[in-house]
Amino acid sequence: MEYSETELLAILLSREVRDGEISACGALSQIPAAGLLLAQALHAPNAELIILNSVFNPFHTSKPFHFLAQRGELGLFFVSGVQIDRHGNYNLHQLGPDPEHPTIRFPGGYGGGMIYYAARRTVVFRTEHTRRSLVEKVDYISAAGGTPPDVLRHGHPSKAVTPKANFRFDRDAGLLRLDSVHPAYTLDDIRECTGFDVGTGPVSTTPAPTTEELAVLRQVIRRKMIDTGTYAEWARKSLGDEATRAA
Amino acid sequence: MGVPYVPIVGLVGTDLLKRRDDMVIAVDPFDGRTKSVVAKALRPDVAIIHAQVADRHGNVSCGYDAEVVILAEASKHVIVTAERIVDRLTEKEAAGAFIPSIHVDAVAHAPFGAHPAGCFGLYGPDKIHMRQYVAASKDDASFAEYLQTYVHGVRDHDDYVERFVPRDWRQPVRAIGQ
Repeated sequence: MEYSETELLAILLSREVRDGEISACGALSQIPAAGLLLAQALHAPNAELIILNSVFNPFHTSKPFHFLAQRGELGLFFVSGVQIDRHGNYNLHQLGPDPEHPTIRFPGGYGGGMIYYAARRTVVFRTEHTRRSLVEKVDYISAAGGTPPDVLRHGHPSKAVTPKANFRFDRDAGLLRLDSVHPAYTLDDIRECTGFDVGTGPVSTTPAPTTEELAVLRQVIRRKMIDTGTYAEWARKSLGDEATRAA
Repeated sequence: MGVPYVPIVGLVGTDLLKRRDDMVIAVDPFDGRTKSVVAKALRPDVAIIHAQVADRHGNVSCGYDAEVVILAEASKHVIVTAERIVDRLTEKEAAGAFIPSIHVDAVAHAPFGAHPAGCFGLYGPDKIHMRQYVAASKDDASFAEYLQTYVHGVRDHDDYVERFVPRDWRQPVRAIGQ
C-alpha cells in the first residue's frame, strides 16, 4: 500500500501511545499531533492528550504544564532535533564544530531539555535519516539521553524514529540500538545513511502501516485536525491521497 | 514567582547548563544524595506589560490566562499600558490573567499599545509591519534606521498611532477606549 513518509511517521508515533497515559507534544509538532489523535482513535481511547497551542490542551498557560511534567505525571512526550546522536542526545540549538561560532542557529528550547528528563518516556523523531542528522556526537547537547544514577530523573528517551528505522534506547549502555528497519529498507541501507554504528543484525522489519491505520489517519484524523484548527492547513495538504483530499 | 530559587528536573548534562551561571546542580537537602538543577530567580527591575483593560486602582486584566502574571509577581516595578481604563474592573474582567494592583506601580492609557504585535480579542499582529521589522533586524544599520523611524523619530504615542497603525483598524477600538 502506498503511503508518504509523513503518514508513516505519524503512524509509527501513534503506536508509542499507551491507553490511560498522559501523552503530549509541543508547539510546531504537526506529525506528533496527528500521531496522538490517531492513537486515541485506534488503541488508546482513554489517553489524555496535550497538544500545545491547540484545543487539545487543558491548560491556558505553560506553568501548569511545566509542573505536571515536573511531578512525573507525563507518560509520553514527542520531540524532534536537527541532530540525534548514538547516546540519545539531541540538538535543537546550533550547528558547527566551534560552539562559540555556530554556522547556523535554531530556536533552541528549554522545554525539551526539561521534559526529556521529566516525562516517563520520550520518543525523539526526525523527518530526515542521513549521516548529517543521525550522528556520532551532536554539535550541541540540548537534552542528554543518559545521566549519572544520582541525578533526579523521572524518565528517559525510549525510542528514536525516522522514515527509515526505529531505534530503542538501551538505558544500561546509554546507547541507541537499531530496533527495526521499515519496509523497503535493508540493514545495509540503514548503515549507509546513519552516522553511528548500527550493529550487524539480524534486525526485524517494522510492521507496515495497516489499512485501518491509514484509513483512520487520512479520513478521521485529517477531518478532525481541519475541524478543530489543529495544524489544519498541514493536515489538508499532508494527510491522505488525492481521493481523500478532494473529499 | 520571584521566589529565591526553584528546583528543576532536567537539563543535567546539557550544553545549555554550561552557559548559565544562574542554574547550578545541587544536592537534595532532604535526602542528601539526589542531584537536580536549581534555577536562581529572575528578578527584573521593571516589567512593562500591555493589557486589554486596567482600572483606576491599578488592577489589570489581560482577558485570558497568560504568563504575564508571573512576570508581574517577579518584577520589582511594574508599568502597565492598557487599551482601556475603567473605574473598577468587573468580576468577569478580573478572570483569566488578573494582576492585582498590589503588584502594579503605574498604569497608562495607550490604545494600540501592542502594535505591531497583537492584542488578544481586539486586533491581530500587523503582518506588513512585522515583515519590515524582521527585514530591518538583519543588520545594525537597518535596525538603527528602523528605530529612528518608529521610535526616536516619533513625538508621542498618539503620533505613533496616527502615523503607523493602519487607518482602518482605528475607529472601532478607539471608540471602545473612550
